[in-house]
Amino acid sequence: MTAMPGPAPTGDLILIVEDEPPMRRFLRAALTSHGFRVAEAGTLEAAERAATEAPPAAILLDLGLPDGDGVEFLRRVRGWSTAPVIVVSARDREDDKVIALDAGADDYLTKPFGTSELLARIRVALRHARGRSLGADDPVVTVGPIRIDHARHEVAMAGTAVHLTPIEFRLLALLARHAGKVLTHRQLLHEVWGPRATHHSHYLRVHMAALRRKLEADPARPRWLTTEAGVGYRLRDE
Amino acid sequence: MGPARWTSPARTPLAPIAAPSRLRAHAIAVGAVAVVTALGFALEPSLSPSDVPLLYLLAILIGALGGRGPGLTASALSVAAFDFFFVPPRFTLAVSDLHAWITFGVMFAVGLAIGDLVVRLRRQETATHEVELRAQAEALRNALLSSVSHDLRTPLAAITGMATSLRDAGVVPPSHRDEVDTIIEEAQRLSRILTNLLAVTKVETGAAPRREWVPLEEIVGVALARLEDELAGREVSVEIAADVLAHVDPILVEQLLVNLLDNASKHTDAGTPLAIRAHRETNRAVLEVADRGGGLPPGPSDRLFDRFERGPTLTAGTGLGLAVCRGVAVAHGGGIDALPREGGGAVLRAWFPDDGAPPSLADEAA
Repeated sequence: MTAMPGPAPTGDLILIVEDEPPMRRFLRAALTSHGFRVAEAGTLEAAERAATEAPPAAILLDLGLPDGDGVEFLRRVRGWSTAPVIVVSARDREDDKVIALDAGADDYLTKPFGTSELLARIRVALRHARGRSLGADDPVVTVGPIRIDHARHEVAMAGTAVHLTPIEFRLLALLARHAGKVLTHRQLLHEVWGPRATHHSHYLRVHMAALRRKLEADPARPRWLTTEAGVGYRLRDE
Repeated sequence: MGPARWTSPARTPLAPIAAPSRLRAHAIAVGAVAVVTALGFALEPSLSPSDVPLLYLLAILIGALGGRGPGLTASALSVAAFDFFFVPPRFTLAVSDLHAWITFGVMFAVGLAIGDLVVRLRRQETATHEVELRAQAEALRNALLSSVSHDLRTPLAAITGMATSLRDAGVVPPSHRDEVDTIIEEAQRLSRILTNLLAVTKVETGAAPRREWVPLEEIVGVALARLEDELAGREVSVEIAADVLAHVDPILVEQLLVNLLDNASKHTDAGTPLAIRAHRETNRAVLEVADRGGGLPPGPSDRLFDRFERGPTLTAGTGLGLAVCRGVAVAHGGGIDALPREGGGAVLRAWFPDDGAPPSLADEAA
């Protein structure tokens, strides 16, 4: 299928992989009105063709396509493309999302979602895709009011130094490196505790709770360290 | 939407091999002994004396196929008949020979052992059958989940998406903004009802909750974020002691809390405060939602949690929300109740017993 020129035809090309025409119409309208170009595919086969014809800057992938397994598509796409993939799925399908994220998807959207959520996810995904090629290993990272100094192992919240344990620091630094993006339980456990700890999700939950108590004004209403139910955690950056 | 009985799986096709009725099994045992006795008499001239007990073993085997009871009946009758008709002195129950006692003992032991084996086999068969049924129910539920998820959520997602597009594009004149907001809110409400329907199928098919040790504060955070719009303009206080862990399925308990909060916000005046409280007792976690509304409706408070029971106020709802709450609590081996609150209002309280000891974090210094 062909790219649809929007008001700003120079914008990033987003490939929409979705079989339901109304949903596609919504995504197309929302993206083109915000300056993106879009390509559309209703099947995984068409999606692979479209992605090779015109490499997209990001891919929106519905996991409920009729002609096959979105995860299989993800694995194949990962073979030749680094374009971020945002999977679209329903609530109650947390397992599918986790499998897709662990298979290389960058983020997800839960149906139903609004335009602001859609655009926020795409912005973050595009920024990370660019950061990857730039090598974003700054010694000091700032996310919202949180300032992380990797060299000195220091964290400050709104200018006030906060004492973190080594594990809390590693957890926060990892989330900050992927700021705005969801990280699965498995990804966090693997990076912070090592490959043998990926089933000990209570470690993660307890340390996230501690981190919230140190960084959030109201830990029961986290503003920055949000829980993605059944999936993982996200450090919000806006 | 009809009542949620459509979750009921077909249960007919795989009836376990019917165990014969008790009376019939005993009759068969008696019959087998009678036939063997007659046979023994008829064939006696051509049989050696040691063959007769073997014939009775056959009768015991046939009897014991009916279970432990019939096996015993067949053994006892066989011993008696063998003794009476074949063991000298014949046609009396007297026994003159030690060998006969050994034969009796063996006959009893065989009867008991076979009867026992049959019972155990049959029990295993029933268990396998139940596992199969549960697997069928599970498969049906999963099929239903994915079809409902896809078929209903996709149009809902398109409606929500396009309505937010309209709102965010700023093309709706102020006089019609309410309508667009209502479209969005109602689509979200439908989506929540759908989530509850799916939760009902989940807890009713009896699938075990996927328990993890979770700080309740985390679940509260997720529930409050999901209800941001519904709870806007209300003071919601959260009282959770640090490190209150619960051993629960976080997704299910989040749904329970969303439903409790949603219910409280529907049945109390806008602007009245709500409170979420959680604490641990011995081997269980307790989660409460308290309001300052008009208190509990008259009648047994259990009825609140019955499906399609609706509160006295004329507000929208399917009556499914609190039924889901009870389903979730019960699935964890816990429960839920409603109490009047001191100073006015109601407290809805759910508890979740631990299934195992709390984890130790001692070995975390990786």
